[in-house]
Amino acid sequence: METHMQMALRGTSVRTTLRSIVLGAGVAALTSAVAFAQKPGGTLVQITQPEPPNLAPYVSTAGPIGQVTAKVFDGLLEYDFNLKPKPGLAESFAVAADGKTVTFKLRRGVTFHDGKPFTSADVQFTIMEALKKNHPRGISTFKEVTAVETPDETTAIFKLAKPAPYMMMALSGYESPMLPKHVYGAGDIKTHPNANNPIGTGPFKFVEWRRGEFVRLDKNPTYWRAGRPFLDRVVVRFIADASTRAAVLEKGEAHIAGFGAVPYNAVTKLTALPSLEVTTKGYEMMSPVVEMVVNTKKAPFDNHKVRQAISFAVDRKFVIDNVWFGFGKAARGPISSNFEPAGLFGAGMDFSTADRVDRANKLLDEAGFPRKADGVRFEMVHDMTPYGEEWQRFGEVTQQALAQVGIKATLRYEDVPKWLKRIYTDYDFDVTSNFLYNLADPVLGVHRSFHSDRIRKGTVFVNAAQWSSPETDALMDKATVESDSAKRGVLYRELVSKVTEASPVIYVHELTFPTIINKQFKDLIDTPLGIYGNYANAHRQ
Amino acid sequence: MGGSALARYIVRRLLQTIPVVLGVVVLNFLLLQLAPGDLATVLAGEAGGAPKEYIDQLRQRFGQDQPILVQLYNYLRNLLVLDLGYSFRQSAPVLDLLLKRLGPTLLLMGATLLISLLVGVAMGLLAALWVRTWKDNVISVAAIIFYATPLFWIGLMLILVFSIKLDWLPTSGMEDVVAFNEGFARVVDIGRHLVLPTITLSMFYLALYARLMRASMLEQRGLDYVTTARAKGLRERQIITRHVFRNALLPVVTMAGIQFGSLLGGSVVVESVFAWPGLGQLAYQSLFARDFNLLLGIFFLSACLVVIVNLVVDVIYVLLDPRIRIG
Repeated sequence: METHMQMALRGTSVRTTLRSIVLGAGVAALTSAVAFAQKPGGTLVQITQPEPPNLAPYVSTAGPIGQVTAKVFDGLLEYDFNLKPKPGLAESFAVAADGKTVTFKLRRGVTFHDGKPFTSADVQFTIMEALKKNHPRGISTFKEVTAVETPDETTAIFKLAKPAPYMMMALSGYESPMLPKHVYGAGDIKTHPNANNPIGTGPFKFVEWRRGEFVRLDKNPTYWRAGRPFLDRVVVRFIADASTRAAVLEKGEAHIAGFGAVPYNAVTKLTALPSLEVTTKGYEMMSPVVEMVVNTKKAPFDNHKVRQAISFAVDRKFVIDNVWFGFGKAARGPISSNFEPAGLFGAGMDFSTADRVDRANKLLDEAGFPRKADGVRFEMVHDMTPYGEEWQRFGEVTQQALAQVGIKATLRYEDVPKWLKRIYTDYDFDVTSNFLYNLADPVLGVHRSFHSDRIRKGTVFVNAAQWSSPETDALMDKATVESDSAKRGVLYRELVSKVTEASPVIYVHELTFPTIINKQFKDLIDTPLGIYGNYANAHRQ
Repeated sequence: MGGSALARYIVRRLLQTIPVVLGVVVLNFLLLQLAPGDLATVLAGEAGGAPKEYIDQLRQRFGQDQPILVQLYNYLRNLLVLDLGYSFRQSAPVLDLLLKRLGPTLLLMGATLLISLLVGVAMGLLAALWVRTWKDNVISVAAIIFYATPLFWIGLMLILVFSIKLDWLPTSGMEDVVAFNEGFARVVDIGRHLVLPTITLSMFYLALYARLMRASMLEQRGLDYVTTARAKGLRERQIITRHVFRNALLPVVTMAGIQFGSLLGGSVVVESVFAWPGLGQLAYQSLFARDFNLLLGIFFLSACLVVIVNLVVDVIYVLLDPRIRIG
């Protein structure tokens, strides 16, 4: 199965439906054999913070939504920890040699929670009507898809205007949930009554959402993976106060919390308890990177030597150890080291050298900003990401680091809407800290920060540095349509070295989140989506 | 005074509240326009970035491409038929969202009002009776400490002691989400979840009522009518219960009415510490998301609540003190 998928990914035209059916049956037999080994039953309580605004992952990708809905909806594919596709609702897929046709063979006998069958018509509707038109990231992910053809109920053929290998990484139940056409196809999907009453094919059925309290999901007895899920129920609780969340985990009233739901400073105390454990796995398809975005249209930040100097000034190890309690890894460029197994990682200019402070001072002298009588070269404002306390500490640490090289930084902390407007609409900033996800592929998460076509006033989390160059644009455009991962790797390594050289964005570190898990439960984090997985394999000890 | 006079009074007061509530709505609407950033950017931000087409599409859907006065006119026109609009962030009608939160809010507020009034008045009464003894000092110092301690800290300490160390009560939430009790067991379960938040929220208010009650009792006891009653040959106990206590209660009732509004605000902290699904948390979240339809709905509902409670307080006056006339 694995090799079949890999061959398909490389663009070899493989259309052996028979083989995939046989393999599919083999997988089913294997899963039911394992099923007997696990203890069924039990309620898992997950803490999600903050409460999701709605349960409509096809129109909104607000972080908390997927933590709930990924249990309700399946995707065409699933992924392993090396970010290789595995069968999901699609038993197999094949990419044509020109990369412009992708054929999915769908699983037979899958039903939605309302009992209606899942067919290729649902795939067609989900991609063309729901995600391509309304999903905040789907608009770009499926940009090249011109049609989804459905020759029969179990075949969906994606027709593309240009090859889009990155699309194959965005077909999980979290990123591209498969919707029932007979439900979401009726009425306006943007204000659909089922926005808060999701119906999918996933291992858990939506039962109830009591706002401000919890979402209750019960076992789907007709789930297509025989013997799964093991748990009877998943309840997702919403607790606004961080100390209370820690207390709830300590008392065992909840069993799993991730993605910043547990404050970093509570992790050490909680993991000292015999009932709890911590993991940093399960964020490989997100790969958040802490960065500082520089307004390259504004003097003195239009000088790349100034930007490099700022990058040299930041002590990445100190930041990780003292602000993020050791959770993190120094970044070597825009692409996260999580892409190393996929061959897409590249290390750029090294800003953590032993003589980094001297080099920063030298660069600033060369750029024409000598120290004045008071030792200050120039002043700047650092807008801190308004996502909580760590970011304020990060601001304070960088303030001191910049002072060492003669830059006097003033810190500013605003609320989220005001900050978004300042950075992405008004461009009224010098330097802002931020963290962006690499997502499942650099095309989806990395290009947006410095491609010229992403300099878009009013669009959030794109190229606020307003920097681009014809060479880097060309590299990204080539990597977007290149389906050979070795060739993509070469393109990306060149890109990374050019981007770190210019430093429109200063990459500080790869953020890792601690997920706290009650040891009563096993196999909760079994995909690179982590808490955005579906818990089909989770079971009690 | 007949019952019909009271009814007429209540109807007139209710009519008077209409312009007040409308004024509150218009003022809130205009004030919220001053906040920078809008729901469309927040939604796009939550999405981790979105194309400009998406943001424009959102603004158009929210009616934000219209001039402010047109938006205000539309809002008021819908309000007249109790249509509070749609929360695009929560994908649900505002009225539904509010009504679902109203029950837990009233439960917590009601329990708090009851406990803080009962305990506060009792503490004040006893302190006044034992004035300038060590018992009075103990009560007064306790009241000051309750008053001065931050609510979130009291809440966390109660969780630490009664939930984690002693394991008597649940940490947070409104009911057990593993058991999902039904019937009477559910009532007991909700009651158990209500204990800690109510105590926490009551601490602050009972301290206030105790101080007020003590001062008011002492003041009343020095008045001429007490001397008259004593001369009439009434026993001290009768004087206290029939005369002094009733009169001393008036300022406390006034205060409780005024405090009712701030009880909503105070509960934001308690609601978030105990994960109680009330209106306070909803207001807090919607402010930071610039979900103005929802926020305006909450303001409207709280304005209505405060107005109604103050009317109730005025009616209670009449019952407590027959000399107070309505009209």
